[in-house]
Amino acid sequence: MKRLTLVLITLLSACSSAPQRPLPPVIDGGHAGAPGEPAPEPAAPDRVEVPPPATSGGAVVALLDRADDYRRAGDSSNEAATIERALRIEPGNARLWHRLAEARLAQGQLQQAEQLALKSNSLSGNDTRLQASNWRLVARARWSMDDSAGARKAEQRARQLEH
Amino acid sequence: MVRKKRKSKRRKTGRRSRSRRSRFPWGKLLFSLVLVVVAYVAFLDFQVYRQFEGSRWSLPARVYARPLELYAGLRLTPEQFAAELKALGYRRTGAARRAGEVSRDGRRFKLISRPFVFWDGPEPSRALRVTFSATHLDALQNDRNGETLALARLDPLAIGSIHTSHQEDRILLQLDEVPDILVQALIAVEDRSFYSHSGVSPRSVARAFWVNLRSGRVVQGGSTLTQQLVKNFFLSNRRSLTRKINEAIMALLLERRYSKDDILEAYLNEVYLAQDGRRAIHGFGLGSRFFFQRPPDELSIAQIALLVGMVKGPSWYDPRRHPERALERRNLVLQVMFDQGIITRAQFQKSRNERLGLVQAAAGTSKTFPAFLDLVRRQLRRDYNESDLVSEGLRIFTTLDPQQQWALQKSLDQRIRPLLKQQPELQGAGMVTSSTNGEVLALVGGRQAGFAGFNRALDSKRHVGSLIKPAVYLTALEQAERYNLATLLDDEPLEFEDAGEVWRPQNYDRKFHGQVMLYRALAHSYNVATARLGLQLGVDRVLQTLRRLTIDEPLNRYPSLFLGATDLSTLDVTRMYLNFASGGFHIPLRAIREVLDSDNVPLQRYELSIERVIDPAPAYLLTRALQLVVAEGTARALNRRFAPELGLAGKTGTTNDLRDSWYAGYDGGKLAVIWMGRDDNQSMGLTGASGAMQVWSGLFRATGAVPLQPGKPENVVWRQVDTASGGLADNGCANTVQLPFIETGTLPAAAPCAREAPSGWLPKWLQ
Repeated sequence: MKRLTLVLITLLSACSSAPQRPLPPVIDGGHAGAPGEPAPEPAAPDRVEVPPPATSGGAVVALLDRADDYRRAGDSSNEAATIERALRIEPGNARLWHRLAEARLAQGQLQQAEQLALKSNSLSGNDTRLQASNWRLVARARWSMDDSAGARKAEQRARQLEH
Repeated sequence: MVRKKRKSKRRKTGRRSRSRRSRFPWGKLLFSLVLVVVAYVAFLDFQVYRQFEGSRWSLPARVYARPLELYAGLRLTPEQFAAELKALGYRRTGAARRAGEVSRDGRRFKLISRPFVFWDGPEPSRALRVTFSATHLDALQNDRNGETLALARLDPLAIGSIHTSHQEDRILLQLDEVPDILVQALIAVEDRSFYSHSGVSPRSVARAFWVNLRSGRVVQGGSTLTQQLVKNFFLSNRRSLTRKINEAIMALLLERRYSKDDILEAYLNEVYLAQDGRRAIHGFGLGSRFFFQRPPDELSIAQIALLVGMVKGPSWYDPRRHPERALERRNLVLQVMFDQGIITRAQFQKSRNERLGLVQAAAGTSKTFPAFLDLVRRQLRRDYNESDLVSEGLRIFTTLDPQQQWALQKSLDQRIRPLLKQQPELQGAGMVTSSTNGEVLALVGGRQAGFAGFNRALDSKRHVGSLIKPAVYLTALEQAERYNLATLLDDEPLEFEDAGEVWRPQNYDRKFHGQVMLYRALAHSYNVATARLGLQLGVDRVLQTLRRLTIDEPLNRYPSLFLGATDLSTLDVTRMYLNFASGGFHIPLRAIREVLDSDNVPLQRYELSIERVIDPAPAYLLTRALQLVVAEGTARALNRRFAPELGLAGKTGTTNDLRDSWYAGYDGGKLAVIWMGRDDNQSMGLTGASGAMQVWSGLFRATGAVPLQPGKPENVVWRQVDTASGGLADNGCANTVQLPFIETGTLPAAAPCAREAPSGWLPKWLQ
């Protein structure tokens, strides 16, 4: 079948009046089978299914406790690395991204703090309280970067969400 | 001051020699001789000092995979866990009693983990009970008291080291890490008077002579451990009297300068034990790992005896090449150990009957990941001096996930191997990254993943074909006032000038499809519609988008760019798609997490950093379109293997005459980019879907897929669209598709099949 397709393509290219040159040479293939013919295939018996909702037990909590210890000790670098460790376990947890943003703020990485807060918001769903604190954090980062207009805008977003 | 003194000395000497002018200057000669000898000894002393200090610190950087974090809910099958433990050198026993042992009962494992020092401190050895379901870790408990544990971290897989030019390797041990019995055996066999002699031992030479004479063969050597250490320092193997004398002098000097324990420790780390290709295996730390895949403190008595016995002739007694010879030597050492009272009779008899218990040399290959190490080295060389890397004993913690790596290697191999008869030149490459943090989880640079060589994933730049198209469609979707996913594009014959020539793009199926919705043109990878869209947008706009997606390669500046007539590597494509997989954030790729110095102090951390490069709404729309590639487009064959609810996203790429087969795809957690083709750029007969996508499928089937459910931005609304007309649908329409739209952008008009005003027309407060 594959060979037939190849022959078909070669024949068709020979017929077409397109100039014979290597560029632009790009085509795209769908199935290995006949082009254009959608072949609805039955699901394989060992199809990969949606896994049960992940429960990481106390792993993330334990790591956050440790991150808190680092924070109290003023070690924001190890604090951030510990939260990164937690994020590998629960990458979709918007609160962890917020915590990482806080740690980056403490590390003095203002731009990263802002970006991570935005990432947290993109995963926050309907959690308006979290969204508000993310905007508050963005505002703090922007104040520190002397972006007062941006900071005020962020504070305004936070106020809207707090209502 | 000093100069004055010397002058006066010389004057004195001069006067004296003048007064004894008539006689032969014995004194002068003697003095010069003494001077020469003193200078020579001082020179040797310096050499010894330099070598000794140098050897103490000349430690290649050691490279580790990510440590496996165990916690309830982890996606890991019992088989994968067993494979990882095996690679780590955990031994299967009936009941785990010591660190590095594991017992298994179906899906339940009991193990004693090894202690390991990480950046955040030591992870202690723990008795763990780990219970699995078919696909997940179900429960993690302390095996001593049954308490539930939140988290445990295993010691990481050592995946390589950064060698010096002469390719020596070692795992540095401190004296207290070496079992007493090993030290005792070594001293009993090699140098019984070690603790009493002062570097050389005439008595042991005599005794060795006697022992050897009595047993009729060479059982003992006459050199002390100190002399052997000196010999090891100066790699030459010439046997000459001068060398023997030098050796003896240096041994004496070494003993004068350093304590017995210092010398013993250096010896244990320095002694040459084996050759692994070009790599010289030095020291008991590495030797123990090389032959038995475990640290010295986990060795059995018999294994200790074998290693000690090998000191005398590493290649003569090589247990892999000459097992019988090695066994005989080992038992001789055991005999000595028993005679000297180091082991009991019971231990002796039990150990004598033990098998050699070597790990297969081949097992080592499954832990060599040359393509990934190549990436690590490139990242390191950017930030470190070569000399620090080969000598400072740095510890490098990488992002490599052995599970992903093994699965990628296996899947690529399974796809390529059956084709090699017809396509002996077929090659492949692949890269797996975490879309959370940009960590490179796996990397394969060629079809023989275990062999170093041309790293195609990083260095092979090939036409990317349709993999480039998302950049064109993204450029359109970012103009929400002009385009949405349902915008009708014209897939009718097209003719235009490209680089001075007339170009008539063709579709793969050699048909034209009339008016097609934008998402369908991407999902089915229609070339004509894409080229037309690209021309509307302009080459410059698309190039700007590509640059924003961190493709800063010199790109083709002609419209053929829209169809991927430009060369990119697997790494480049990974960078580009990571922006999509992460929901619009650029994440720099990382192969290293942190670098620790030899005292476990973090020297450098490669921190997660992100930057939004695509607005949330168009990023969301693009991922939906790439999900539809799998749901109904060129990648729909994946639906046979993966539940539709997983919402996998991806894009196939095929280049002219089937020269390149590409697939870039992601789920909710990771992105994988696969390439297949030939190095000579000839046709190899595979499309993106029949080649690379199958490899991708095998990878995700082995390691599991997590649902891709990006969070909906607030300015995005979902609408039902009539597939026939591309208009907004309602219940009156037979075939519809759910599409997201940017609220403030353009929306389609009502479909002819819609009976009433479609929801898009409702006032906002009703929606």
